Amino acid sequence: MLLGAGIPLLGACGAKESGTGAKRDSIADGLQPEKGPLRIINYADYVYADVVADFEKKYGVKVEITTIDTDSEAVAKLASGAVKVDLHHSMNNTTIGNLILGGLLQPLNKTYLANFSNVLPAFSDPWYDPGAVYSVPYTFFGTGIGFRADRLDPALVDQQGWDAIWEATEFKGQVSVLDDEREALAMAMLRRGVTDINTTDTAVVDLALADLVELIDLVNVKVNIEAYKDIPEGTTKVAQTWSADLIAGAAGYLPEGETSDVLGFWHPPSAEYIVTNDSMGVLADAENPVLAHLYLDFLLDNQVSEKNFSWNGYLPALTKLDADYVIAQGYVPENLRNCVPTNDDIAKGLKYRPLGPEGQALYEEAWSKFTAGG
Amino acid sequence: MSRQRGTHGRAPWLALVTWLYVLWSLLPVLIAVRISFNSGKSRSTFQPMSLRWYSGDATSSVWHDDALHLAMFNTLKLAGLCMLIATPVGVAMAIGLQRWRGKLSNGANGLMLIPIVTPEIVFGVALFVVFTQVYTGVPGGLTTQLLGHVTFTLSFVVVIIRARLAAIGDQYEEAARDLGASRLQAMRLVLLPLLGPAIFASLMVVFATSVDDFVISSFLSTGASTETVPIKIYSGARAGSTPALNALATVMLVFTLVAVALAGLVMRRMRHHGDGAASLTGLGT
Amino acid sequence: MTTAVADRARRTRAWAGLAMPGVGWLIAFFVVPVYAVLAVAFGQIDPILRTPQPAWSPVDWDFAAMGKVLDRVFGGDLGRVFIRTFSFVALALIGCILIGYPVAYFVARRAQRSRGLLLAALVLPFWISYLMRMLAWTNLLQVDGYVNRVLGWLHLMDTPRNWLDGDWPTVVIGLVYGYVPFFILPLYSALERIDGRLIEAGRDLGASAFSTFMRITLPLSVPGLMAASVITILPMCGDYYTNTYLTSGSPRTEMVGNQIEFYLRGSSQPQTGASLVLLLMALLFVLMVYYLVTTIRQQKAAER
Repeated sequence: MLLGAGIPLLGACGAKESGTGAKRDSIADGLQPEKGPLRIINYADYVYADVVADFEKKYGVKVEITTIDTDSEAVAKLASGAVKVDLHHSMNNTTIGNLILGGLLQPLNKTYLANFSNVLPAFSDPWYDPGAVYSVPYTFFGTGIGFRADRLDPALVDQQGWDAIWEATEFKGQVSVLDDEREALAMAMLRRGVTDINTTDTAVVDLALADLVELIDLVNVKVNIEAYKDIPEGTTKVAQTWSADLIAGAAGYLPEGETSDVLGFWHPPSAEYIVTNDSMGVLADAENPVLAHLYLDFLLDNQVSEKNFSWNGYLPALTKLDADYVIAQGYVPENLRNCVPTNDDIAKGLKYRPLGPEGQALYEEAWSKFTAGG
Repeated sequence: MSRQRGTHGRAPWLALVTWLYVLWSLLPVLIAVRISFNSGKSRSTFQPMSLRWYSGDATSSVWHDDALHLAMFNTLKLAGLCMLIATPVGVAMAIGLQRWRGKLSNGANGLMLIPIVTPEIVFGVALFVVFTQVYTGVPGGLTTQLLGHVTFTLSFVVVIIRARLAAIGDQYEEAARDLGASRLQAMRLVLLPLLGPAIFASLMVVFATSVDDFVISSFLSTGASTETVPIKIYSGARAGSTPALNALATVMLVFTLVAVALAGLVMRRMRHHGDGAASLTGLGT
Repeated sequence: MTTAVADRARRTRAWAGLAMPGVGWLIAFFVVPVYAVLAVAFGQIDPILRTPQPAWSPVDWDFAAMGKVLDRVFGGDLGRVFIRTFSFVALALIGCILIGYPVAYFVARRAQRSRGLLLAALVLPFWISYLMRMLAWTNLLQVDGYVNRVLGWLHLMDTPRNWLDGDWPTVVIGLVYGYVPFFILPLYSALERIDGRLIEAGRDLGASAFSTFMRITLPLSVPGLMAASVITILPMCGDYYTNTYLTSGSPRTEMVGNQIEFYLRGSSQPQTGASLVLLLMALLFVLMVYYLVTTIRQQKAAER
């Protein structure tokens, strides 16, 4: 869900000069909602269609969703004006800053967001948007290893940590890493004890690249974001994945007759655990800004959020839906409890930060070399 | 169709190779069709027959999944509109290019042929860049996809029509002119009917090419509302997929084959002669 | 005299006018777009949002990105991707020839009663979506799929092979399967057009069937073979979906098209992607020109 993490990318149209600076005015209090339709940009299948239908019914409007494959694609389309929407459903941590700086987002008027008080304290004043002026959190998840617990001993994975991927030589062709340059390179750095995952030190990045390249011959590694189905279906045995993938996989992709006991998840200790989140925001040139605010508030509602989570497996950043609750409600099996990042994980965990143009280019070149086969 | 044929001796080995090839080229597709009737989720083995993935399944069957029929509808709409634009423009261009003997005609001729030998990714990238950088006023999605498909298929039409024009020669039109028809009348009353089979072949090739296209549609897609069947099949391999994907592909297959068969019947009615499989693909000459 | 000249000029204008909508279309949606790729490759990018700022005038062209790409292609990591791509394409072409030539030859020159049926079978794949045919293969190649079962049944393989594990043979086989119909048809039409009297003359002069084939049919089919090869090589060189589809993203099977897609759609350096496109076009230029020249020559011959 955060493909192409990093600086916003490719794009479109030089017509709009960026760098005009952040937009400062939010909408006035107490306005009536517009007639819509509310236009949203989001990844495919990332929000439950029933939840959207509930919103449509509640406010008597239509919602149109434009889907994107990558974060960068969204930025490109919005920056070029090729796509005009009211609301960005899933902004990446590292791109929010640029969207603000580029004047693409408008500050939120919190008087419309009564449910903002439901948000986990850790996300009410996030590092990527101090004071949550321009964004509210949508979902959060950590990066770890998903594996087949019936083929690999969880205790062994725990002992090996990230090495488990490099050691999986008996599962050649059934090992994958995330199709995302930041995620994959950060994994290789963490494996060697480098916790500055935002480094632009060429030597460090080169070493991480060399380690990733090793995986090609060692385990015939694949590069994709399909572990959420491939692990439950058994075609992948060990993979770098997002915690939410296991929850989604357990809920929807196990073959008949198998239980979630076959799934396992490992993540590093809090201080080395990368916890990321996707955020929602309202576009500066939204035609339905009031409606967009109402939508944000709607998704921050505990019940709505729970319904959405029950379908997509990506935890909303709300206090009520903690590990105990989602396990008690049967959304998450007990053996996957560690797929729900704790408050400690969020507070102490590592964060991706923008790399700057040169740094981003450095990571992209390393990525291009890795996917090219070394 | 057949003037002479090497009839010396039998060629059992060649026959065997050929039939094996036919089996190899079509059997996987038949198996994929059979899998679309699986009652379970398996995409690798046969399961008891059911219509679950066509209509039975309340959420993810072709009938009930909005995203799937939208993709089908988009694909057919795109292909239909593409036929309607590319064919007339292409026919006019073929006639014009064949008779236009100016200094610039060679250049125009070359220009017409280049798209045929341009890898599709170059097309996709170029159109993507131009619609985001230059023609920013053109609404994204279906419109840009259509413009792209027409550009991509136009040359096929020209090649097919020109092959036919060369075969017809100009004696029929001359005769009509001798009998007092104006140039325009001769073209309308004599040439166009003679071109009938080739125009039909063009329509079908344009349709098949557009329905099949993945790269251009994908580069110019602006989201779920502009996804086509090939895009669905491609992303379906990555996202969790069920035999519903096979069912979708099967429906499209049946649709295309019926359309082709009907067109074939019409062509036969028009008593065509001389156009072999080569002109059907537009690549023969 | 002068009226005849004027008449001819008018007619030329009329024919040119008939061709104009098509020519205009191709200029607007083919020539301009290709130039736009050039302008992006040699242009700049927006410092914050990283969107391309094309350089429309050659005066402003900046060759830095292209220079870097050339460095990486000649003597760097990207060179391997090009070599891998061309190797896959070469192997797939050999596969197409080995399978396609006998089939095209048999249907064009030897098949008798079965000819109509076979022709239909050769054309049929054109009406089946390429990705549908790839989908069919991924169904078959699963570990518990029918390919492994047949191989096991024939005792050719004891343990089931994971065909989708990301190795190159699966990709090459996939490319052959996908493109061989496009190879067979042009070759078929070339073989079918060979004058049978030449072959009979050869036979009458006492040559064996084999030597008639080697001395007459094969040489006469060379232009058709070349055309068929060019028609299959060019699209294969830009293919990025067959390998991705069949190996779900293995670095071992990455082709040039994947790098182009990454740089243009998923990176902050669209100029690099545009430069790769230009380089690919330049490398394929000879084949493209060969096709153009031979096709135009044939058209002229046919219309004379």
